[in-house]
Amino acid sequence: MSSFTNKEGLRASRVCFSYGNKQIIDNVTLELKPGTLTALVGPNGAGKSTLLHLLQGRLQRDSGIVECNSSITVMPQRASIDWTFPITVNEMVRLGGRNLQQQKEIMAKQLLMRVGMEQLAQRRLSDLSGGQQQRVLLARALMQQTGVLLLDEPCSAIDPPTREHLLSVMREQADAGQTLLVSSHDWGSALDSYDKVLVLDNTLLANGTPSEVREKLSDMTCMMGSHCCG
Amino acid sequence: MDETQIWWLMPLIISLLIGVICPTTGSILITQRRILLANLMAHSVLPGLVLALAIGIDPTIGGLISGLLGALIAERLNQRFKGREESSMNTVLAGFTAIGVLLVPLLQTRVDLETILFGDLLAANSSDITRTLIATTALIFLLLTRYQDLVFIGVDPDGAIAAKRPVSQIRFLAIVITALVIISAITAVGIILVIALVCAPVLMHIETSRSLKQLIIKSAATGLALTSGGMLLAIAVDLPPGPVIGSLCMIALISKQIQTN
Repeated sequence: MSSFTNKEGLRASRVCFSYGNKQIIDNVTLELKPGTLTALVGPNGAGKSTLLHLLQGRLQRDSGIVECNSSITVMPQRASIDWTFPITVNEMVRLGGRNLQQQKEIMAKQLLMRVGMEQLAQRRLSDLSGGQQQRVLLARALMQQTGVLLLDEPCSAIDPPTREHLLSVMREQADAGQTLLVSSHDWGSALDSYDKVLVLDNTLLANGTPSEVREKLSDMTCMMGSHCCG
Repeated sequence: MDETQIWWLMPLIISLLIGVICPTTGSILITQRRILLANLMAHSVLPGLVLALAIGIDPTIGGLISGLLGALIAERLNQRFKGREESSMNTVLAGFTAIGVLLVPLLQTRVDLETILFGDLLAANSSDITRTLIATTALIFLLLTRYQDLVFIGVDPDGAIAAKRPVSQIRFLAIVITALVIISAITAVGIILVIALVCAPVLMHIETSRSLKQLIIKSAATGLALTSGGMLLAIAVDLPPGPVIGSLCMIALISKQIQTN
């Protein structure tokens, strides 16, 4: 596993974004320390995906600053991929990799082993289950070897064993120095897997360790019930 | 062998080339979910072709301009009618076809509309071959220089933009090449039927191909069989080759489906 030398992480200050008359992201300030695994939680429509794309630079923010000395990769939601495209798992992981062909081949093999997909390397994408698709997307994101990795609902609609496996890979990456921000519907004790939690509902409602955030929001009715379960 | 005995040579060469480049173009467009564009362009070239013939310039130029104009108008309407792209594109398709048909009596052009609509492979000449070779060269250039980008854009279009791949340029290049391929295919199958040759061979292999390259090779081989077989069958039974090839495309696709089930 490669180690990450970027020690700056990512900082965003007073980021705003609107679409038409609707304020999607309102005055968000956050800091992702290097080598940390941070959860970004919030109800549907809170702007989690939008925030990830603003941090990466794919969407142009209306105002605010994003500072990062490393390149940033976003692991997209499953819905944005054409899973019927004629391509194998191995080729999908190698797509967009920065290294030479031979290095890409070796790296792809190692990453597929890490995510538990080495036996399915020659399978077509269309033959994969939802959990397998998420594993492939994670392997592909790791292939980019960027200092900051933003993951858009990597644990959405997958079985608990796959979720645990993906989280353990993300933890290994954080321990190796990569900075990860994971958009998630996790809540309760599921948040203990993370170093820090950001709660977003168009603006940041809470920012701290899992226990700090749970305590702060325990009496906020908007955070009770079904929102984090989708 | 004298010239009259090799009258079939040019039609055969055209049918072989078209049999390869139409499915190859279809492989790119279908995997990028832009196949509606191919049918739209097939009809949008008509006004330009008629106008070019009327003023005595190469119909390729007129058809190319007209086809690109149709694509541009459709793109603008798609942005306006998001979620209803099929409706807006079909409207543009019908509109351009209508304008093309109207231009014939208006300009008093000596154009055989039936040939443009349904092809006349047996009337192919050297300029048709030149046109087809230009389209073939352009397509080979795109595949050799932009293959990885085509795969990336097809499987993860948002990711390709985020990775700063030249998505707009590649899409524009694909549109231009599609127009060239369609114009060159008019001789063989005409603008109405070209879509069958663009789609059917690709659909027959898309679910079993493990790469875009494999899909292109399999589709091109099938296209080759359909066009050459269709031409020979048409000569044998004395029927127009374009509709025979179009019919064979559909029959082949249905047969493949039955075989798979």
